Amino acid sequence: MQPEQDPVKRQIDIKRQIDYRHPLPVRVWHWANAAVMAILLMTGLLIFDIHPHLYWGDEGHEGVPAFLSLSGTHLDRDVPQTELQIGNHRWDVTGILGSVIDDGFGGKYLLAAAAPADWQFGATRGWHFAFAWILGLSLPLYGLYLIGSGRLTKVLLPTRGDLKLRNIANEFWQHLRLKRARGESARHYNLLQKASYLLVIFVLIPTLVLSGLTMSNAMTAAFPDLIALFGGRQSARSMHFLAAMLLVSFVLVHVFQVFVAGFFNMMRSMITGRFVVDREDAV
Amino acid sequence: MNELISRRALLGSLAATGTLLAGCSRLDDKTPFRQLLGASDGFTMHAQRLILAERALVRELPLAQLSATFPMNGTTMPKGDYYARLLETEFRDWKLRVHGLVDRPIALTLAQLQSLPARTQITMHNCDEGWSAVGQWTGVQLARVLALSGLKPSARYVVFHCLDKLDLDGNYYYESIDLRDALHPQTILAYGMNGKQLPVGYGAPLRLRVETQIGYKNAKYVDRVEVVDRLDAIGKGRGGWWEDFDDAVWYAGQ
Repeated sequence: MQPEQDPVKRQIDIKRQIDYRHPLPVRVWHWANAAVMAILLMTGLLIFDIHPHLYWGDEGHEGVPAFLSLSGTHLDRDVPQTELQIGNHRWDVTGILGSVIDDGFGGKYLLAAAAPADWQFGATRGWHFAFAWILGLSLPLYGLYLIGSGRLTKVLLPTRGDLKLRNIANEFWQHLRLKRARGESARHYNLLQKASYLLVIFVLIPTLVLSGLTMSNAMTAAFPDLIALFGGRQSARSMHFLAAMLLVSFVLVHVFQVFVAGFFNMMRSMITGRFVVDREDAV
Repeated sequence: MNELISRRALLGSLAATGTLLAGCSRLDDKTPFRQLLGASDGFTMHAQRLILAERALVRELPLAQLSATFPMNGTTMPKGDYYARLLETEFRDWKLRVHGLVDRPIALTLAQLQSLPARTQITMHNCDEGWSAVGQWTGVQLARVLALSGLKPSARYVVFHCLDKLDLDGNYYYESIDLRDALHPQTILAYGMNGKQLPVGYGAPLRLRVETQIGYKNAKYVDRVEVVDRLDAIGKGRGGWWEDFDDAVWYAGQ
């Protein structure tokens, strides 16, 4: 133990600012949603497996043109081929998208996502609805918390400065360079962050919840406007899928940014709430 | 269409390899998983019924929206001599039996059912697989049939025993709904589809239309209506074929 090191350490501590960044409700909602959405995505893909075709409007079934369709062509071949169709375009996606399972005498079937051997379709739907309850109920509660606590206006809504053209251009440039925010600018969400969080909380998740409810016979009997909102039952199903894919894209970028911004610090702040602000001149 | 999955074939072949049945036993009724699933379904039912106005009707669509083709799902031709004979005689000797917790067990011929006041509705059939198609259904309200038999005070559920067997286990198809859905004005026993007699592929002589719920609840080839106070004694006790063999949810208003 060399006592002369202590002042040095103290000096560093002074230059390190620790913010209490994420209050408990934020952390609880974040991790609960991360788990719930992982389960909803997996069960959702297994449900999509059965009928991997998306339609627009009210009806949609075999014989009706699908705007997006995954199909197994040449299932009888040694290496069965899968094909993705979007609009009038077709791509051979063998080995990339979709897996073909061979059931021996039962034939070969295309699955959009790989399914476990003991897959029970009915149970998959049951699980999807069970976890959808958590997502659907926690969303309005979290919305109320954001508004009630003032976090929405203080933390999430863009400031006047955020929306200045110079700032927007600068932010895009910093993002493209994958430059980590430091000092004072690291203490606030930047505009792109704010925009993506607002989009997820107020657009994507509500779209997922509402389009999910629009697929329910009983719910649309009670609220027929839901069908009008999405322009038909099959449109609602397609929006459900597309919103889910957008959310997956968000999560991929989100996790990538966690690494860019500093994995340890970001994880600590989302687990304990404490976020360490780097010194402006730190390398 | 071999590129589309036939769920029956998929399920059947999985079961043939023994994997599905192993999965069934793993998720036994007593496991916490199964109980959680049951609790969630019960929660859904009660929540939807809180929200749903008494007897809220599902959308009825204009004739112009009728689907040009309507997928034939599940059984499309029941096997066995009995059904073949019924078909040969155009169901003249067939009778719908209504029994169980009723005041008077009754048996109605197709002609008798057709002589009762009819309801025609153009509705969207939503399969749990994800597709939707619009059909026009003509039949007699289940409530009207149950009024003829009367209901005992202990009556709670209506079970539909069908004429078709699914390949997997050799059991006849069966489904059940509770009295609230059974007495819904749009819950009918349909003998007509798109202005014609109900075709074999869609469930002749009689099929259930329970519009507040999803596809598999709409049992085809209905032969017998049994009124019960509990579902334990029916099949494996979960109230329906898909519920018993695929762990599908019983309340399928989702």
